[in-house]
Amino acid sequence: MGIKSPLYTIHKKLGGKFTEFAGYEMPIQYSSILEEHLAVRKTVGLFDVSHMSNVWIIGKDATKLLSLTTTADATKVGDKQSQYTEILKEDGTIIEDTIFMNLGDKYMMIPNAGMNVIVTNWLNEQVKKYKLDAKAEDVSRDFVILAIQGPKSRETLQKLTNTDLNSVKFFGCQYTKIAGVDCIISHTGYTGELGFELQINPPKKAEIIFNKILDAGKEFDIKPIGLGARDTLRLEKCFMLAGNEFHGGRTPLEATLGWTINWDHDFIGKEALLKQKEKGTFDRMTCLMCVDKGIPRHGCEICKEDKKVGIVTSGTLSPCLNVGIAMGYVQPDFRAEGSILDIIVRDKPLKAKVIKPPFVPKDWAQNR
Amino acid sequence: MSNEVRDNLKYTETHEWLKLKDNKAVVGITDHAQSELTDIVFVELPQVGKKVKKGDELCVIESVKSVSEIYAPVSGKITKVNDQLDDAPETVNSSPYDEGWLVELEVENKSEIDKLLDAKSYKKII
Repeated sequence: MGIKSPLYTIHKKLGGKFTEFAGYEMPIQYSSILEEHLAVRKTVGLFDVSHMSNVWIIGKDATKLLSLTTTADATKVGDKQSQYTEILKEDGTIIEDTIFMNLGDKYMMIPNAGMNVIVTNWLNEQVKKYKLDAKAEDVSRDFVILAIQGPKSRETLQKLTNTDLNSVKFFGCQYTKIAGVDCIISHTGYTGELGFELQINPPKKAEIIFNKILDAGKEFDIKPIGLGARDTLRLEKCFMLAGNEFHGGRTPLEATLGWTINWDHDFIGKEALLKQKEKGTFDRMTCLMCVDKGIPRHGCEICKEDKKVGIVTSGTLSPCLNVGIAMGYVQPDFRAEGSILDIIVRDKPLKAKVIKPPFVPKDWAQNR
Repeated sequence: MSNEVRDNLKYTETHEWLKLKDNKAVVGITDHAQSELTDIVFVELPQVGKKVKKGDELCVIESVKSVSEIYAPVSGKITKVNDQLDDAPETVNSSPYDEGWLVELEVENKSEIDKLLDAKSYKKII
């Protein structure tokens, strides 16, 4: 089995069922994916996402290194701000999508599960190649990462800290104390709901925080949330999952992540992206909501009148909408909003409509 | 984790149950199976009239994260399917042995039923 989270015993006690994901043994669900999913949309849920990576970016040229190796201009990311971005190869394809946090004295990058070594090596190779005074240091095993997500997440967490959480703006980040334990807090998440993420070192201190958050959230019926609901929550918001939506071979333009690119600075992969942009004809990430009953899955073909025009990269039943939803790459001529395409599930066509993301709008539960 | 096993049923190693009435057999999945699958959100049922051989795919049950094939415990012709599962697939979770049945088969060869597991033997494998 894979690496166990430092919180493994707690998960076991809470009834967690485990799965191996990118070399980690993590809870996929506790009670039920549907219940956990709805708890996050309606109130609050707590995730252990320690399988995600932690990399310090330090040194005089740390900002330069980030600007060079990501689609973001790091000089524009001020103190206590974090940034979602991608790391590209020279040919413009995505190595990794990630968030980096500017903590004032240094940066912390959060690559995906199992990507710590690849990303750290890539960054340090560029340091050498471009003769920078900077260093990427993989500290993934030194941190536990918790995500507290849902409309009641701020109220829950506020009980445990003196930091005014209203002052931590969207994508803000800073050092703080939660339940007396030093950690890094950011107003970020992967659910599309109000939420925060905590980087906790040393890992053994995380148990205190985890239990205190569950206590603090009792009045809101807080639930521990597994990776199953984490996946359905992000899919309803059309957030990319590295390994599904791209695992090499796709550019940010194809993944419709063009909005994350700052074109006013030089970065590895920029030339290739400019060429692709000029050419204009390439498959793009497209969101499809099923009209027929059924559930599209990763790898299903997308067709228009028996001609293959795309492929599903992620699919599930939407717990909020109770219909099948899918993300996938579709050829440019077939992805206009409102178009009806067929998703082929077990040799049968399932009618689905191209929608403008997300599937589930902001504050869905409050507006029902 | 629920694991109810009923004495009056026959079972397969792949967690289907079968109940014989004259030459018709009703088929479903066991309590153990529904509990392992959790949150059943879609059941794809076969056409009435279709003939299946023992071990063939009978229908497909999907949970949020998984797709599972359900196999025919015996050979026969499908005489009825549980249409109510189209709108309420979660019935397989709440009532796997009663309202959550899947299909009814006209049994081709009764000797195949003798080879299925009884409750006692099935309990041993779960």
